[in-house]
Amino acid sequence: MRAWVSAAAVVLLAACGRTASSPALTIAINAGVEGDALKTAANEWAERNGTRVEIVELPYANLFEKELLDLESRTGAYDVIMMDDPWFPRLVDKGNLAPLERQPDEDFLTSCLDVCREPYRTGTFYALPYVGNSQLFFCRKDLLDKQGLGPPATWDEVLGAAKKVGAAEKMYGYVMRAAPGNAVVTDFMPLYWAFGAEMFDGNGQPVVASKEAIESVRFMLELGKYSPPGYTGFNADEVSAHLLQSTAAMSINWPAWIAAMDDPARSKVVGKIAFTQMPSARRKGVAELGAWLLAIPGASRNKVRAMEFLIWATAAAQMRQAALRGNPPTRRSVFMDAALRARFRAFPAQLASLETARPRPRTPQWNEIENAFGIYLSQANAGSISPEDALARAEQEIAAIVRRGK
Amino acid sequence: MTATMRRAWPGVPWVAPAVLLLLALSIYPLIYSVKVSLTGPGGFTLANYTRLAQDQLFLRALLQTLAYTAVALAIEFALGLVLALLVDSLVHGRAFFRAGLLAPMLLPPVVVAVIWRLIYNPQFGVLNGTLRTAGFDTSRLTWTSGEQSALLSVILVDVWEWTPFLFLLLSAGLQALPQEPIEAARMDGATGWQMFRDIVAPLLKPAMMLAILLRSMDLVRIFDQIFILTQGGPGFATETMSLYIYRTAFRFFNFGYAAAMSFLGLALTVVFARSLVKLMRTAR
Amino acid sequence: MKSAAKYALAALALAAALAPVYWMVTISIKRDIDQFAFPPLWFHFQPTWQHYIESFGDGSFGRYLWNSTVVAAVSTLAAMLAGVPAAYGLARVRWPGDWSNKIGFWILSTRMLPPIVTIVPMFLMMRQVGLLNSRAGLVVIYTAFNLPFVVWMMQGFFREVPSELEEAAMMDGDSRMGALVRVVLPVVRPGLAATTVFCLIVAWNEFLFALILTQTGASMTLPVGIASRVTQYEIKWGAMSAAGVVAMAPVLAFAALSQRYLVRGLSLGAVKG
Repeated sequence: MRAWVSAAAVVLLAACGRTASSPALTIAINAGVEGDALKTAANEWAERNGTRVEIVELPYANLFEKELLDLESRTGAYDVIMMDDPWFPRLVDKGNLAPLERQPDEDFLTSCLDVCREPYRTGTFYALPYVGNSQLFFCRKDLLDKQGLGPPATWDEVLGAAKKVGAAEKMYGYVMRAAPGNAVVTDFMPLYWAFGAEMFDGNGQPVVASKEAIESVRFMLELGKYSPPGYTGFNADEVSAHLLQSTAAMSINWPAWIAAMDDPARSKVVGKIAFTQMPSARRKGVAELGAWLLAIPGASRNKVRAMEFLIWATAAAQMRQAALRGNPPTRRSVFMDAALRARFRAFPAQLASLETARPRPRTPQWNEIENAFGIYLSQANAGSISPEDALARAEQEIAAIVRRGK
Repeated sequence: MTATMRRAWPGVPWVAPAVLLLLALSIYPLIYSVKVSLTGPGGFTLANYTRLAQDQLFLRALLQTLAYTAVALAIEFALGLVLALLVDSLVHGRAFFRAGLLAPMLLPPVVVAVIWRLIYNPQFGVLNGTLRTAGFDTSRLTWTSGEQSALLSVILVDVWEWTPFLFLLLSAGLQALPQEPIEAARMDGATGWQMFRDIVAPLLKPAMMLAILLRSMDLVRIFDQIFILTQGGPGFATETMSLYIYRTAFRFFNFGYAAAMSFLGLALTVVFARSLVKLMRTAR
Repeated sequence: MKSAAKYALAALALAAALAPVYWMVTISIKRDIDQFAFPPLWFHFQPTWQHYIESFGDGSFGRYLWNSTVVAAVSTLAAMLAGVPAAYGLARVRWPGDWSNKIGFWILSTRMLPPIVTIVPMFLMMRQVGLLNSRAGLVVIYTAFNLPFVVWMMQGFFREVPSELEEAAMMDGDSRMGALVRVVLPVVRPGLAATTVFCLIVAWNEFLFALILTQTGASMTLPVGIASRVTQYEIKWGAMSAAGVVAMAPVLAFAALSQRYLVRGLSLGAVKG
């Protein structure tokens, strides 16, 4: 009996040891639509080179935490990481990312490249853009035509159309993505900016409680009345589900969902959705940028190979392949490709949106700020506090965060 | 070596491995945590604790944790007791029912959370689906997605998962009860309720107290299920202490503040446990 | 209350306990179209294995499963190896004064520590000794988790065994350790079984430390793998459920097999404790 126990113990203890074969590359990817294209590309690259690639798929929030932990503790667990552009200032901090040796070529869209540089727009390149994500306005052209309206050019028109279409078709005129945190802030920024509000002034101080900001929140509440109940908990899949099921007529959304809208297996509104630019208000409407970037941690033990992969995956040929799989590209040549334009009817709109897209405030504390802002926006949406109150508290909290970061 | 230590010597080799391992993995990290909570960019600082005293969000998370603990415990206890009495009074199949009822508490909490995420989904989940089949309007039933209903929905999951634990402990207590007083009371013609109130309940007190103590200590540090079900949302509605500390540490990367908060949490747990134990002792 | 009513109630409680579990099992074997069917399909659907193939076919969940198994088994073994002697020592050896209780209580109190308190230093410690993102690191931590419980449980069982048993063996020339192994352990087998199963379950189910201390498939366990499938968009319900079923199957199987011991062990420990 004893012999058995000892033998088993030895075997198991040996099994505890590290795996003999290490992968050539370990890539941290977002578990979701944005990460799928990179996953396929990574597996292809592995096959081509006869090596093994390990893909670690994590949900959005968790991905950030794991990457941050890996970078700050310099554990070198990941060789390539995928990041949402607002994370960049935090992750590039303290030299945790490896700088790119070569300048990226001019084919990349400027707006996408700008967020890969530290300092923003002017500094060294630390990442390459892979997913050219910027918001589009999704609206039911067929229903708007019925009411004699065109795609809304201003937010007031959006409200008007929402009322009319909603009443006429007995559906929800608009659907908002208002789940607290990243979701509500992301969806809200175009509205915020369109009303002329800014988050920070020239000195980096928060001005979140400005008159324009309060107006924008009031408008958001107004628009919420035409949104399906429970919208205060909606994330992208609920929003898209409403559009796909034809229970809502308009929303802000991301290119990742364009394919689904025209997929007969999933959509009741094939060909009926128009993808237009962001509505304006006081200021011209501008889409929010949400590009996904690829970077190499400074502590990675496979930097050379990682760089090879990065260059390969973002090259025009590969990006074209990824686009065919539904990935929004970041290269102009791919957007202008005739075959792709014929196949993806929204490409011109996507390109226009991406070229003028605006990133969220570039600060290493964006995560904390977004979290705080999101909580108060959420409370305003739920009606538990007034817009003025919500923004005042948000400003206080954000100011405290900024102070702590100094 | 003192006389006391010499007398203790024979026992030392037996307990040494366990004690050393625990020292290394429980006490050392604790001390390190204290150090981290008192360190700032400029060296020693009480800044984390002063911030803690003013943090409204932490206070809210704390209160929500306590509310969660109280409500969940009350429901689990009541249900567990009823089930224990019920199963205990069955003539056949006791073991069968007991085995089946234990299942939820053995599952990985992550799996429990996934199961209930499936069930609670307002559009596609089986809960709303079943209600809709029965004719109810489920458009306002948003369970974990609704700010008002989220906390209760999450508590419900805890009740489902852990009532078996209370059931088990109370069942064991019931089984260990001496039969004579109960028989005597029955022969004297006492009703079921009278028997329970005057004989069973007092004898069951130690088991009840233990159940409450153990469960409440686990409730206060609830994390896994909420992480999967709501991540603390919507808004702040289901934010608990553990979740808030986790986010401060790993998303905002502020280990010092997280450490300060965990100490407060630990202090509260200890105070709580001690008062419960005292209550137990006096109740005996 | 009438007997029939009692059984009906008990059956209702059982249904409430098991229905959600059953539901997840059905999701794991339903085709995608059937998963969102309205009214919900409890029994009449065509089963498919695609989700299991999808989850475990691409390799990562298979690896998580292996990691979970190894870590649970080894940490349980280690906890028993360290804890059983400690429990015996506390139960048998005549300690001065109140030491036996004090040490016992101290060991138990380490279980009161909310994990979140020790997680950061633990992470830094593991990184220091190179045990980050490794199964060995998790084993060390889970052993520390289970030790207090092993000591607490086994102490109760040992106290039940009359000391005459070992004394007789020792008079026949056996050492104390020998007596423990050859004479006492067989007697407390139910306690050992219950404690072992409980330790396995705790290690298997653990989430927070695995979440923080693992970074890649080299050490990620099943709970972490499952959590990573819970995403913002497009929740992959089928795959998630398949993984969930695999995660809970061993636990339920183990518990069913050792149910008698488990209940007796937990209740004895509880009542004596």
